[in-house]
Amino acid sequence: MAEPRVIVEARGVTKWFGATTALDAVDCVVGPGVVHGLLGPNGAGKTTLLSALFGLILPDEGTLRLFGRSRGEAGPSWLDGVAGFVETPRFYPYLTGRRNLAVLAGLDGGDAAELIDEALERTGLAGAGRRKVRGYSLGMRQRLGLAAAMLRRPRLLILDEPANGMDPAGIRDLRTALRRLARDGVTVILSSHDMAQVEEICDSVTVLSRGQVAFAGRLDVMRTDAPDAVWRLRTSDDAAAAELSRSCAGVKAASHDDGGLVVHAAQDRLDDYVLRLGRDGVAVRGLELDTTPLEALFFQLTGEPRPGGQLPVSQLPRTKEVR
Amino acid sequence: MIARIRGMIARLRRRGRHRTRAAALAAGMITLLALSVSGCGSTGLTAPSLQTSLSRTFANLYVLQQAEQGNPKPSAASLDSHASCQKGGTLDIPQDGSGVWLCQITYLVAGPGYPVIAKYNVDVQTDGCYAADGDGPASVNGSPTITGPHYAQLINPLSLIDGCFDTT
Amino acid sequence: MTLAAGPWPTFAERAVPRSRSGVLVVWRLELAKLLGLWRVRALALMCLAGPFVIVAGLNLQSATPGDTAFGQWVHTSGFAIPMVILGFGGQWLLPVGTAVVAGDIFSAEDHFGTWKTILTRSRSRGELFAGKFAAALTFATAGLVLLVITDLLAGLLAGTQPVVGLGGQLVPAGQAIVLVLASWASVLPPVLAFTALAIFTSVVSRNSVIGIGIPVVLTLVFQVVTLIALPAWGQQVLLSTPFQAWHGFWEQPAFVGPFCWGLVTCAAWFGICSAGAWLVFRRRTIGGAA
Repeated sequence: MAEPRVIVEARGVTKWFGATTALDAVDCVVGPGVVHGLLGPNGAGKTTLLSALFGLILPDEGTLRLFGRSRGEAGPSWLDGVAGFVETPRFYPYLTGRRNLAVLAGLDGGDAAELIDEALERTGLAGAGRRKVRGYSLGMRQRLGLAAAMLRRPRLLILDEPANGMDPAGIRDLRTALRRLARDGVTVILSSHDMAQVEEICDSVTVLSRGQVAFAGRLDVMRTDAPDAVWRLRTSDDAAAAELSRSCAGVKAASHDDGGLVVHAAQDRLDDYVLRLGRDGVAVRGLELDTTPLEALFFQLTGEPRPGGQLPVSQLPRTKEVR
Repeated sequence: MIARIRGMIARLRRRGRHRTRAAALAAGMITLLALSVSGCGSTGLTAPSLQTSLSRTFANLYVLQQAEQGNPKPSAASLDSHASCQKGGTLDIPQDGSGVWLCQITYLVAGPGYPVIAKYNVDVQTDGCYAADGDGPASVNGSPTITGPHYAQLINPLSLIDGCFDTT
Repeated sequence: MTLAAGPWPTFAERAVPRSRSGVLVVWRLELAKLLGLWRVRALALMCLAGPFVIVAGLNLQSATPGDTAFGQWVHTSGFAIPMVILGFGGQWLLPVGTAVVAGDIFSAEDHFGTWKTILTRSRSRGELFAGKFAAALTFATAGLVLLVITDLLAGLLAGTQPVVGLGGQLVPAGQAIVLVLASWASVLPPVLAFTALAIFTSVVSRNSVIGIGIPVVLTLVFQVVTLIALPAWGQQVLLSTPFQAWHGFWEQPAFVGPFCWGLVTCAAWFGICSAGAWLVFRRRTIGGAA
């Protein structure tokens, strides 16, 4: 069987729920061995799109193909090689974790049952496997969901906010595992509302806003288009610092509601600005990165209001601009 | 704007699908009703059907009663039993449907060969089953028990008659 | 070990062979889940022990159940006992007993939120629907068979004297056994139709309380409506009527008209409810919108 060049192909997918448009002509194409992020604020349509990939929601318009086959063509084997979960994974609370996996392995057929021990160990649930799921925390349920996905020997892994409820160590572990999976040729699609998480792990993204695709493409391409990073600056004289920024090219500063300044600038421009502040007798008491360039682009694309002070979208400096 | 038009068209198409589905279910229900028609309007609980069933059942049970009492058994046919029933005891109301019917069963007793009339209050249910409560004469159906050989007390089969007839 | 330790098990290049029919797989899993439910076990216990308890209770007193066919003969012949139980059971126990399982088998997944878990495996919606439906039907049939066997045994233990049929005829033991089995078998179609009805309400309402409650309420409604003097076709439409069709078997001459029409009624209820449940389920949205 020839390896299809495109693993996931969604074209013009549209879904209404009554008067609300959840997805509006969404296109999404993902190739093999890629970690693809599905970004968007809550309510943007991420879960709807992932549900449509799983066949839980049937789109009103558009086509969806997994491994080159549509749901109608493939029949019951449509989800062969596809695994993952949508929203928090749910299990039978009156059964133990192990028993739940056994039920799911039974549905899959084949030799899925042999993987249960390995799956429980790898997700750190070996001890909890014999406890009823009703006693599991959110993080444990997420990990059981991953274990259930592992049973299906996936070639395509679809995860809805997988880092939800996990501690930082778990998130790091997850990141490494997903990157390794991608290296082995498995395609991963994960959704998140947090660009910072996605930046570190994904190769490409689709950004959804109010059911429409705001951006789709590779992250490195996205970076060249991104506005400047956003920094939080605390100085000995905020007013003077703000005044000074107006004469610096490529630097925009505004006061923050909680005190200090919000500065939009590229790294090199920021360095110049800080040196100028020092020369003009303004001491820098604190400087930290608040929003990466990609995060800033994300907020732009989705029109999300950012916490604290911010400049209107039209006034944000772009790296390509020259003053 | 264009999205809204596309939305309206798709919603109309979906409503069309729903209408087809609803129409199919309605057609199914109508078929169900039509198939179940087995005598439009009438309940199937008429005097002739009750009379036929009651007289036949009475004859069989009379034979059983005689056998239990140790008397010679007549044949059911020789009894030539006929029932005559009236709903509510009068012909002034429609003789159709469930409720209390008063029945008189005329039969020939073997030997002297003169007719005896046994009376019953019959409670007819809507499914065509009835319970006939004996109302005289006392020796036939008035008493709930009869005496068998060796003075054993047995249930009098003619005291309470359960039977059913076909209403379809 | 952690997620990142070593490669994950990945899909083999060749497709995983489907060794068994998907519906059979789901059917077996659902039956296993059913057997673990306490109410299924309670119902099984009732079917096993109930008839013997009833016989013991009847033996303790000389009075006889008056309002039902065969009631006056319970002390005379053991064969009257399964028929009295069928008379009462047909009105309440059988419809409610099957609704308790069938009214929950679909909506339990909604309750736990596990539809998205089992629908994202290698089983289509059709296979899951058919497997669960078959499991509910199996439970209803098995329960009925169990009840027949224990009823007949309890009756045989009570006594094998000939029983008086509904035509006044004396029915000897051999023929009585046949008629008892035939009468009980005749209520299988309405029991299956009730199962389909409970599944329909379960699928449409996505709620176990409604899924079980509506068939139970309908049982009550049928009992009330049947008392009204409806035309013959009106009586025939009610799903409670086929439960009484066995009366004709015990008459002399026996008649099967109500049984045959009852089959039509059951087939129509079964067909409409099954089709309705499937139409609602096949394109339903699972989970809320994002």
